[in-house]
Amino acid sequence: MNPEFESAISAFAGTAALISLFVILAMIGTLNPYHRPAIPVLGATAVILASAYLFAHTAGIAADSVALRLTMSEGVLALIDILPLVFLVSTYLFLRASLRKRPEDPLLVLLDSE
Amino acid sequence: MSLWAAQMWLGLSVAVIGISMHRTGPAFRRHSFGAPVALLGLAVMLFRIEEPPQPESGVVTAAIGAAMWLLPALAGSALVLMGAPLYWKTRPAPLLAGWTLIAVAWYQYYSVMSLVPLDALRWVSTLLGVLLSLTVFTLCVRTAERTTPQEPETERLSEKERKYVESVLRRHLEVADEP
Repeated sequence: MNPEFESAISAFAGTAALISLFVILAMIGTLNPYHRPAIPVLGATAVILASAYLFAHTAGIAADSVALRLTMSEGVLALIDILPLVFLVSTYLFLRASLRKRPEDPLLVLLDSE
Repeated sequence: MSLWAAQMWLGLSVAVIGISMHRTGPAFRRHSFGAPVALLGLAVMLFRIEEPPQPESGVVTAAIGAAMWLLPALAGSALVLMGAPLYWKTRPAPLLAGWTLIAVAWYQYYSVMSLVPLDALRWVSTLLGVLLSLTVFTLCVRTAERTTPQEPETERLSEKERKYVESVLRRHLEVADEP
């Protein structure tokens, strides 16, 4: 398989698995009596296992715990890769927030004119 | 899996749980255990006696490398949000310090970055991976909510409860009316 395509599939599977793991961990961290986490946890676990299988199939290795660790590691590396992109968007939003000016209030304008 | 590899994943998990805990509660009073648990997770992940095996050692190395620009970026972002006129009041000192740190972060990133055009394909794949997992989560939450049986209608307030609610409302409205 083309190495660039393989790298793209690894990034896709890794990120899907890692974000699903984060979803499960977030549900643990915010557990409360009104939570019904069974179905979301099952869905996230299915995504993790399917992603690990996809990664193992692409890399030509056995779909075992090593494949799962490799998938998660790929996910961390892929997320670190797109952090500058996220920071670029954030910088633009911070710039807009810093240059924000209070909109003119029509009632205050009316008071000034009187 | 070796002990050091398990320690790295345990630390990452504890850090994510801590961050999630921190997001609960109102903005002016966050969960008191959130930040300490997140810091404990980071410490478990980064402080170790032996070098973890591959692929975990690669993850730790990449995280430490990214921290060189990520730490000033996070600190700068927090300061800019404190100083920006989000509620029409500017605080120049934190705003200036924040933008200085953001500039430092970009300079640090610029000095170590090595981008090739094929990275774009990887970025798109990464975003699609994020989208897939969040879509599955959203659908699962919707299914869980649809399958949850509806609570029976609550009974009407008794005369005593009605008087109590009325007294609370009156007390608050009277306080609000005071100059």
